[in-house]
Amino acid sequence: MFAIQADELTVGAAIDGVIVPAIRALSFELEPGKILGLVGESGAGKSMVGRAIAKLLPSGFKVTSGRLLFEGTDLVQMPPGALRALLGRAIAFIPQAPMTALNPVHTIGAQFDEHLARIDEGDRASRRDRALTMLEAARLPHATDLLAQYPHQLSGGMCQRVLIALAFSSNPRLVIADEPTTALDVTMHPQILRLIADMQREHGTAVIFITHDLRLAAQLCDEVIVMYAGRAVESGPARAVLSSPAHPYTRCLQLANPSMRAERRALYVMPEQMPSLSQLRDMSGCHFAPRCPLVAADCRRVEPPSLMLAAGRNAACIRAEATSDIGATQQLTSAPAISQRLVLQVEGLEKHYAAGRGLFGRGRIVSAVKRASFVIAENEFVALVGESGSGKSTIAKLLVGLEQPTNGRILLNGENLTEATTRSAALRAISLQIVFQDPQSALNPRRRVASIVTQVMEAGSRHAGWEELRAKTAELLAEVGLSADLAARLPGQLSGGQRQRVNIARALCTIPKILVADEIVSGLDVSIQAQLLNLLARLRAELGFAMLFISHDLSVVRHLCSRVLVMYRGEIVEQGPVETVFANPQHPHTRALLASVPPDEPEVAWSMLQAAVN
Amino acid sequence: MSGPVSRSLRSARVLIALGMILCIGICALFAGWIAPHDPGDQNLLSILTPPAWAAGGDPSYPLGTDGLGRCILSRLIYGARTAMLVAFFASFGAMIIGSVLAHISGYFGGVVDWIIGRMVDVWMSFPPVILSLILMVGLGVGLSKVILAIILVDWTRFCRVLRSEVLIVTRHDYVAAVRLLGFTHWQTIVREVLPATLPLLITLVSIEMAIAVVVEAILSFVGLGVGSDQPAWGQMIADARQSVYQSPWNLLLPILGIFLTVTAFNLLGDGLRRTLDVRFSETGR
Repeated sequence: MFAIQADELTVGAAIDGVIVPAIRALSFELEPGKILGLVGESGAGKSMVGRAIAKLLPSGFKVTSGRLLFEGTDLVQMPPGALRALLGRAIAFIPQAPMTALNPVHTIGAQFDEHLARIDEGDRASRRDRALTMLEAARLPHATDLLAQYPHQLSGGMCQRVLIALAFSSNPRLVIADEPTTALDVTMHPQILRLIADMQREHGTAVIFITHDLRLAAQLCDEVIVMYAGRAVESGPARAVLSSPAHPYTRCLQLANPSMRAERRALYVMPEQMPSLSQLRDMSGCHFAPRCPLVAADCRRVEPPSLMLAAGRNAACIRAEATSDIGATQQLTSAPAISQRLVLQVEGLEKHYAAGRGLFGRGRIVSAVKRASFVIAENEFVALVGESGSGKSTIAKLLVGLEQPTNGRILLNGENLTEATTRSAALRAISLQIVFQDPQSALNPRRRVASIVTQVMEAGSRHAGWEELRAKTAELLAEVGLSADLAARLPGQLSGGQRQRVNIARALCTIPKILVADEIVSGLDVSIQAQLLNLLARLRAELGFAMLFISHDLSVVRHLCSRVLVMYRGEIVEQGPVETVFANPQHPHTRALLASVPPDEPEVAWSMLQAAVN
Repeated sequence: MSGPVSRSLRSARVLIALGMILCIGICALFAGWIAPHDPGDQNLLSILTPPAWAAGGDPSYPLGTDGLGRCILSRLIYGARTAMLVAFFASFGAMIIGSVLAHISGYFGGVVDWIIGRMVDVWMSFPPVILSLILMVGLGVGLSKVILAIILVDWTRFCRVLRSEVLIVTRHDYVAAVRLLGFTHWQTIVREVLPATLPLLITLVSIEMAIAVVVEAILSFVGLGVGSDQPAWGQMIADARQSVYQSPWNLLLPILGIFLTVTAFNLLGDGLRRTLDVRFSETGR
């Protein structure tokens, strides 16, 4: 019997009174003890599957047809009471955001006890023993102390381990893990994944693993389903699907992902983005057709059926045989020669914060940045990597002048910017700009796009004319690849990728000498990320600027930057050319960062995950 | 795409409230033409007459007369003038002082924020009615004194509520971004922060108007409001106490006036909050 089986599962969403399928005729079978990966970009409907199992669909969404069989019983038809009895016992969930999934006002012990009591796990003492066993199995040190601690006293990784221990404590037969590592630091990823894999193997649990990361899915899963706009476009054994994709979407996703080890290549750029639910309503034919490089006339007319390619291998594409021919269409934009002229020099930069200072007592001094020194030459893209809390963003804030350094100097084109004077602010405004991480917060929701990108022309006593503003808007939007009719939109009416482009356009308005980019592609889907990375490379070739690119994604860094600075606990522990540092990392933290990236090739075993198997 | 104004005007709450305020406003503005009598005219021959439709009512006094034989309807209409004047000027005055300080406090933070914050704390620790009574004793009676007293008492409400909103808005990266683009502090506050706090500001003003009407009634009730020559609802209530058993409408009518005005302003505040607040509208309601 299958642990879970979906049979033509269709989830409909009511959009303006019309029912649009958010998941269409999804079928899969998952045997006990296997891991099924649901892969795709945001909006593909992968999380909706987990929510359908828990009957926690957002309002307006409901299962319109099909069945979801858990060990032969249909969950869709099941009365709520019976389903509740299954959830938490036979079916468990590992959430995406561990910090918010635990109740902040109860101790870990209390939450564990509550859960175990709910699933009738003996008396208080035996529940405590069970909790300790599970926490130790989750490789959490000092499990006894941990029971008395509150979630805020733990790191995100530890919270996630607690949640994994919770999920497996009832010996579930099915676990649904929805992007369990996305909210965590990259260095935590391998350990968490290994833990899930170990627990799964030990308990013989079937796992549905929802992720956007193809490389990860290839390493962890037995079977994968690649989803696009609510449909399973390709499915089959994980390694087979990801080493020789049959559907163009899978192939394009792979090509859009920068590689860690292979030679640097241009990223494949899929035009536009995944259709939203309201766009789906008016679409006919293959939903991937507008972005597909192999699109034929038939594709736009009828929706391709799911074709069986081999035993257990399906792809919904009529041109699947040509998929392997898709190659990177664009040439790698050659970077302009990096001159020897330095744009930015940072010498012995330090930033201390006073922490915990009360009415009495001195309080501690926390150094967010310790004696950081680096230089950036003209046209050079330098990456700043490190785990969260390592001081990357503090450096960005010091550079742009949002914070004042405690010690050290910042020189821009040889001029000292360290002191916060009107002169240094003016110098910064014209030659040093920042692109903020979160465009949602960085763009004033009340201003139109046109007014945002030309905001710098409103500054001070400058009064640009209407014509001048309009010309500049058109120019900037064209540069970042946005159509001119977006000028009248509000940021809320743009997609995530478009917003980030507007964000970049605003910073480019004065044609700065150096950009500070703080995790600007982190929250974005792979295909949008590829668009932006190519955009940055093209803009550098056209306009010529240097960039400090703050990121935690080493493959992106390797693709875009020539030099890398590795930060660890406020210190720059290693710096040098990307290839050298990545090939021969010296500092343990650099090694940890490098090890946390799964290999590009599905056939190659990921050492971090493998260690656990043996 | 609908603007906040057209969105507000589609809200039933806002429309009803505006209708009521318009009626009261017309009474206040054109009191001289609408009122059948001079509100101060006494007719000692017909005191405490019931409303025109009741037994023994006099058609020339549609809502009857009070203990001194003054036309209740006329006094109500002139009272509306007092109430509206106080509502508008007091709430705008309090809004200006409170919001300027709130923006300075929330935007700059640090020592400035601390000083303004403590000032508000101290100010708010006085019971508001007592504070305004003390102020009235010091200032003397009169319409402008009432307005001044309410402003001096109620600016703290704006300051405290708006400051936290300014703090939230200022934390957004877009405020930092325009500073880095070379905006001056003044430009940043006026062009980036203020538009974001404006919906709350407007809502607060309409709620403050309701409060001002009540405070004015209280002050007039104890005889420390507008001068005795100027009709006010609070005064009417105070006058009607003596004859409450003979003519309850004398007491009830000014209370009804206060009730309707306060309800209208509160309804307007609630309706505006729902339609203007981005947290309501961005989630698609």
